[in-house]
Amino acid sequence: MSPELIVALLAAAVQAAAPILFATLGEILSEKAGVLNLGVEGVMAIAAFAAFITCHVTGSATLGLLAGGLAGALLCGLHSLVCQVFLGNQVVSGLALTIFGVGLSNYLGTPYVGIGTEGFRQFAVPLLGQIPVLGAVFFRQDAMVYLGYFAPVAVWFLLSRTSLGLGLRATGEMPAAAAAAGLNPQRLRAFGVMAGGFLCGLGGAYLSLAHTHLWTTGLSGGRGWVAVALVIFAFWRPGRAVLGALLFGGVMAFQLRLQAAGTNVPSSLLLMLPYALTVLALVFSATRARSSARKAAAAPAALGVNIEPEG
Amino acid sequence: MAPQQSRTDIASVDVLPQVRLVGVTKRFGAVVANNAISLSLMPGRIKALLGENGAGKSTLMAMLAGRFKPDEGHIEVAGRRADFTSPREAIDAGIGMVYQHFMLVENMTVAENVLLGQEGGFLLDPAAMRATVSALAGRFGLPIDPAARVGDLSMGERQRVEILKLLHRQSRVLIFDEPTAVLTPPEAEALFSALRTMSAQGKAIVFISHKLEEVLAVADEIAILRRGRIEGEFLATEVDSPAELARRMVGRDVVLDIARAPVPLGRAVLDVRGLSGGGLKDVSLNLRQGEILAVVGVAGNGQQQLVEVVCGLSRPETGEVELLGHGWDAFSKHHDWDGALAWVPEDRAGLATCRSLDLTDNLLLTTRQGFSRGQWLQRARAREAARRIVRENNVQPGRIGLPAWQLSGGNLQKFVLGRELLRKPRLLVAEQPTQGLDISATEAVWQQLLAARADMGVLLVTGDLAEALALADRVAVMFRGRVMGQFPVTDAAQVERIGALMAGLSEDAA
Repeated sequence: MSPELIVALLAAAVQAAAPILFATLGEILSEKAGVLNLGVEGVMAIAAFAAFITCHVTGSATLGLLAGGLAGALLCGLHSLVCQVFLGNQVVSGLALTIFGVGLSNYLGTPYVGIGTEGFRQFAVPLLGQIPVLGAVFFRQDAMVYLGYFAPVAVWFLLSRTSLGLGLRATGEMPAAAAAAGLNPQRLRAFGVMAGGFLCGLGGAYLSLAHTHLWTTGLSGGRGWVAVALVIFAFWRPGRAVLGALLFGGVMAFQLRLQAAGTNVPSSLLLMLPYALTVLALVFSATRARSSARKAAAAPAALGVNIEPEG
Repeated sequence: MAPQQSRTDIASVDVLPQVRLVGVTKRFGAVVANNAISLSLMPGRIKALLGENGAGKSTLMAMLAGRFKPDEGHIEVAGRRADFTSPREAIDAGIGMVYQHFMLVENMTVAENVLLGQEGGFLLDPAAMRATVSALAGRFGLPIDPAARVGDLSMGERQRVEILKLLHRQSRVLIFDEPTAVLTPPEAEALFSALRTMSAQGKAIVFISHKLEEVLAVADEIAILRRGRIEGEFLATEVDSPAELARRMVGRDVVLDIARAPVPLGRAVLDVRGLSGGGLKDVSLNLRQGEILAVVGVAGNGQQQLVEVVCGLSRPETGEVELLGHGWDAFSKHHDWDGALAWVPEDRAGLATCRSLDLTDNLLLTTRQGFSRGQWLQRARAREAARRIVRENNVQPGRIGLPAWQLSGGNLQKFVLGRELLRKPRLLVAEQPTQGLDISATEAVWQQLLAARADMGVLLVTGDLAEALALADRVAVMFRGRVMGQFPVTDAAQVERIGALMAGLSEDAA
């Protein structure tokens, strides 16, 4: 493989990592607050469509991006309503959200299949873009990738350096303790779920606005599920989420290139690669979770457990 | 423990109560949990709140903490009526709670736990947070590492974190719900002196405990809660002995000294020789039919591991364990549901029962082999047996269709013990059988155990020395996985040394 090809492959990996990263960070926020959201796949699909149609109608990629995020937040608000108000099972509600989201986006999007949109185009960052190799890989991307460089830092900062994040974590670990401290765990959970939904929505918006630049069915392509698995792989840490997203982005980009290069390997096998990696990552996390670092790598203690009303 | 000098002072009438409950009533459906309760909490005084299980202490505390609203009556803070609509308002009014089950986030640091909800700004500065907590801990003599993860701390240290939370919020009323239940004796001593320090600084303190000696040692005033009502309020100095306090509490004399007729010893039912591993070190014990062997010690010194091995939950790593004359492997692989081993676990609401199953189903959890023909359950017979247990052990409320969680701890325990005795075991393992039970339920459980030992050997694991001495024929003291001493309760010299043995002082040093 020539050096140019490797650089192109790495740049493609970074691009492929972006939507997964947003979705993983979103799921981390939700799970840190104690709510398991298996609806990421559906949320990304809806958000991708909301972003596409907004951009298509208004011509503004920024508005499209916002629409994607808001659609994600609203859809996750529905999850929050089912789990927190009606005490529905988080797994069932999340699965329903995925089925609903994927189905609805395909239904609404049918007339638009194949229609393109401007979205975000790649541009080189002044100076940084001129750095050999690194510049080409990291700094000749689109605006959303650059946003993706800040997102993990922002999520980390929110979780570990703000009182809101502290309350959010306490709610995910032990809602009763948060309540005893005078916080409102229900409100914190709703915030975590919806803010997480906004991030998942950004991930979905990326797909239609920056990845394909056109609408097609099945755009989310399992990335939501990868994100859910990556949260465990990342031990609920934004920093490790970056690592995981790059790893998956790399595998996705690699298998696409390999297909494009016309290899003898059946394409269905190549398409399996990211999911095989998902399984491997989960196995790795499970062994790690049994080791000495278990405490630091454990899931939030109250993850998946709804807050029962008192009295 | 040195008696407190100021205890005889009667709170002067012109001092305003920090918190006053005025005719507070709270109902849950048809149950009146609190009935027209009036109570004053004075600054600088320690008030003990005594009451049997289900007397309404938790409900009362939940209203003070702003978690429940009174149906009638109201709460006054510093003379002004306060209607709390949320825990936050109670905290802001200066009322702080140390719950029986700590309200701590194990996966966060001490500093994060102390400052949760009180960060004083949107941005956090971890170094400053640690410094704040360190300073606070130093000022009140509650040493703690602010950067430590709470999940790694001992129970005594966790309680310190809870107290620091309240001190940081400048709570003026501190409510302790059974604070010594999880503490070692020295930790409890340290807590008492901290309580006196805080009380001397003008805090109003409420101390909820079942342990009568502790109440007498630490309280200035004692209020007794019975069936949702305040049945008596008096100065601690008016009470001469724990026995008298117990009498006031239950409204009748309780035989805490229980008559124990000797029972002839039968065959060996348990023989443990040199058991090590899993936290145990060279444990040897034996138990015969007709006796009760009490394993005493502060919780977490290997009792749990011992019980797990005896009950077949974990395999002995090294050493011999013989149950009813069989080796551990053979016995644990298969033993009959009756006439063998029965276990009354400490966690009666979690391990012994399923909270949402009714009493009949809970009966069947361990006795189903006795109520089946082939693959079919004989539910009618099981219901009859459940009714009999309920009747004979005075389990309240006595409806077998109720889910387990609707029973109070004492009633559930009586049911569990009745169920296990139905299996006519020859080896009964009873773990903390009266923990959290009121005196009348304790007495009932003790009578059950004493009567049962004629037909079986009882391995009684307890942290309550009084219980061990009242029931057991022999006592084994555990410390850090070792049996520090094993002797008959009639050996007065050895019994004197139990405290030292529990604290790990060896034969020579004691």
